[in-house]
Amino acid sequence: MKDESMKAPLAGIIYGEIVYWGLLAACVVVVIGSVLAFLGKNYVPVSYWISSIWQGKSVAEIWKGAVGALPNGHWYLSHLNTGDGLTALGISLGVFPVIPGLLLCGAELIKEREIFYGLLAIGCGLVVIIGLLGLVPAS
Amino acid sequence: MQKKRLKRKSRIWSLVTTVPELTILILLIVGGYLIMAVFSRVEGTPVLSATSIWLIIVGSFLISTAIAILAVIGGIGGGVIFTPIMLGFTTLDSLVIRATGLVVAMFSGLISTGPFMRSKLANIRVVIYCGFPITVGAILGSVCAIRLHNALGVVGDGIVRLSLGLLMIIIAYFLFTGGGKTEYPEPKKIDALSAKLRLSGSYWEESLGKVVNYHLVRALPGGIMFIFLGFIAGFFGLGGGAFLTGTLNLVMMAPVKVAAACSGVLLAISNATAIWTYITYGALIAIFAAPWMLGQVVGGILGAHLLINIRAGFVRKVLIAILLVSCFKLVLKGIEEIFGINIPII
Repeated sequence: MKDESMKAPLAGIIYGEIVYWGLLAACVVVVIGSVLAFLGKNYVPVSYWISSIWQGKSVAEIWKGAVGALPNGHWYLSHLNTGDGLTALGISLGVFPVIPGLLLCGAELIKEREIFYGLLAIGCGLVVIIGLLGLVPAS
Repeated sequence: MQKKRLKRKSRIWSLVTTVPELTILILLIVGGYLIMAVFSRVEGTPVLSATSIWLIIVGSFLISTAIAILAVIGGIGGGVIFTPIMLGFTTLDSLVIRATGLVVAMFSGLISTGPFMRSKLANIRVVIYCGFPITVGAILGSVCAIRLHNALGVVGDGIVRLSLGLLMIIIAYFLFTGGGKTEYPEPKKIDALSAKLRLSGSYWEESLGKVVNYHLVRALPGGIMFIFLGFIAGFFGLGGGAFLTGTLNLVMMAPVKVAAACSGVLLAISNATAIWTYITYGALIAIFAAPWMLGQVVGGILGAHLLINIRAGFVRKVLIAILLVSCFKLVLKGIEEIFGINIPII
């Protein structure tokens, strides 16, 4: 029979719920951003983005034609009042909950005296943060 | 017939009531796309008309939703379908495809993380233990992908296409044979490291009507393999869920259901690490990737809740056939790009 021991551990629930609800919230931002991109102001026109991709232009060519150079960072943070900027923020917000999810999961594991796994979860979160900050140079 | 229709109706209604957030999201997306169609201020270009641009966005959303549903039924990641087809059959830039491929691979996995954790199928200790090496591998893979692309240009893309084509043959083989997976593996001996790490757990198995206890083994080789699997995910822009499940089941001896649930969560963690490299470089074009993300979320939830009764075996065979055709085209295109020749097939 199912009993209390079948209850999922709190650390897992914390991680799972943060990621689930964070992602759904991000989807709302993405929809709003996409609509604004079709209706109003953009950092780079929607037609330029889609046409350039459709033509098979490289990432460097697309950005060079749009703003002169590759963004090399979180360009959308300074363009949140534009449709494409908000859409990019929404996608990033969809990925972001993994970080607080892992860190809080790690804290809960440490609280439950699972020190090794707690530290490993926090380490995992730090690796994702390294990616987010672009600390391993790609170019 | 009427009974069947009533059953389907009640299943849809139960989905509306049990997952109201999905209904709200679908209404929001449909409303958004209608507003975009009616009030669009997007201007056409010599390449695409304004209507074509809207159609590309809506079409991407619908295809992404279908891919997510098929992937859930077939038990594979959406990235394994998206990336090879796009790399093999389109002329879109390979970095744009791989960045969008990570979106496709990741978001259906992310959305299923909550349910997997709640059901206790995903073991948090296993996820965290394998999560560390896979994130390290993923970040290295994504950095190498961009560096290779910048250093070798078309030849680099050719190498990516050729090696992905060969890799997909192995994935197709895994999917076709099941990789020799065993439902409930029983390890003969638990090694010292695995015992010390307590890589064990239990879950309620509905089909058996009892609790299944398990203990994972070979923690060290398994951990090393996860660095490599993370690298593949980050480099090629696909999840490689078949490899993750295979490693957990065949090498570390996790029950199939636990292996599949853990691999779903791990796939999301590794791709969420790798995608930041593509985002900060500029390879993720948000307007293009957005409908793919939304489709994965909607399709991921729909597939998991609605389509339990569909014949998974048939869908799996169709997916394998698609994969094999993609492999063939990828290998050809890779050879063409590396050697600068034209092979006039398809």
